[in-house]
Amino acid sequence: MHIMEGFLSPQWCIIWWFIALPCVLYGIYRLKQVTNADREALPLLGVTGGFIFFLSSLKVPTPFGSTTHPTGTGLSAICFGPWITCIVCAIVLLFQALFLAHGGLSTLGANTVSMGIIGPFVGYIIYRLLKNTPVSIYTTVFLVTACADVSTYIVTSFQLALGAVHPVTGDVVSSFISYLGIFALTQLPIAIAEGIVLALVFKYIIQLKPDILIRMKIFSEERINAAKREADGP
Amino acid sequence: MQQRGKLMAPNYNLEILAIIAIAALCIVFLYTSSAMKNAGFVGTDDIAAAKIHGSSGNSSEEIQPLIPQWIPPSAEIESTLFALQAAIGGMIIGGAFGYWIGQKKKV
Repeated sequence: MHIMEGFLSPQWCIIWWFIALPCVLYGIYRLKQVTNADREALPLLGVTGGFIFFLSSLKVPTPFGSTTHPTGTGLSAICFGPWITCIVCAIVLLFQALFLAHGGLSTLGANTVSMGIIGPFVGYIIYRLLKNTPVSIYTTVFLVTACADVSTYIVTSFQLALGAVHPVTGDVVSSFISYLGIFALTQLPIAIAEGIVLALVFKYIIQLKPDILIRMKIFSEERINAAKREADGP
Repeated sequence: MQQRGKLMAPNYNLEILAIIAIAALCIVFLYTSSAMKNAGFVGTDDIAAAKIHGSSGNSSEEIQPLIPQWIPPSAEIESTLFALQAAIGGMIIGGAFGYWIGQKKKV
């Protein structure tokens, strides 16, 4: 989903940077609050952030003869919300822009908005909607992760349609549909697989450290215990 | 593990689902690579980039970076750096899970 260096017009680069920067700064503030309140949140941050590092480096073949990568942001969106997720994504994207030429510094704002802000925000909204419903925790994690992933690519398509240096077609809507065919359609199978894998990771977190999830009010104690029983077997 | 006098078997449904999902991606890859002779498996980023280059109507050299960028000198070095990124993630995940397992054993 990386928008390459030089592919967005300068005015759009500035606009996306202006949106991304305050979110990253607020994320740093929220991160300080969370870690000051509970130092035990740090290993959980390590796991959720580690998966963003790990999964976004994997280039997975798609059924359409191309490759794409998962984003891994859903788990972090559930545990820490979109603001803190935004910092981890900005670090990953900076690493990839500096050392891999995937994305660029001028487009870092745009890439942070798609992968670090709007994708996790969509996931976080789904999590909040399902948090206190009878929907299983694992189904919630699956849906959050898959939707955060696909929405990231939808936003990238939109960003390119709005501000690519050479528009594919005359109008934004047809350009958007054109980019959507490249990004979002190919992403669907990967997003489903990512959702299943991260639901499995969440099961291991519940089995190993359920108390941190309860203390951070990620899910209620009853729901965590129910999920633990579900994982342990009938 | 015992509940109401019955032996409890761990539930591996998610593990099985994850294996099926990964196996399905592998099978689809094998099928696609044999069925689509011209499948290059290039990144979707590159496909979008090619579309933008194509729409410029001029040579691909036309799009210049706004900020100068270091580009890995070869595909091998790029793969190494991607592997390094995955390794950083893997080490952090392993460290955190190891810390939790250690804590659980202490109790």
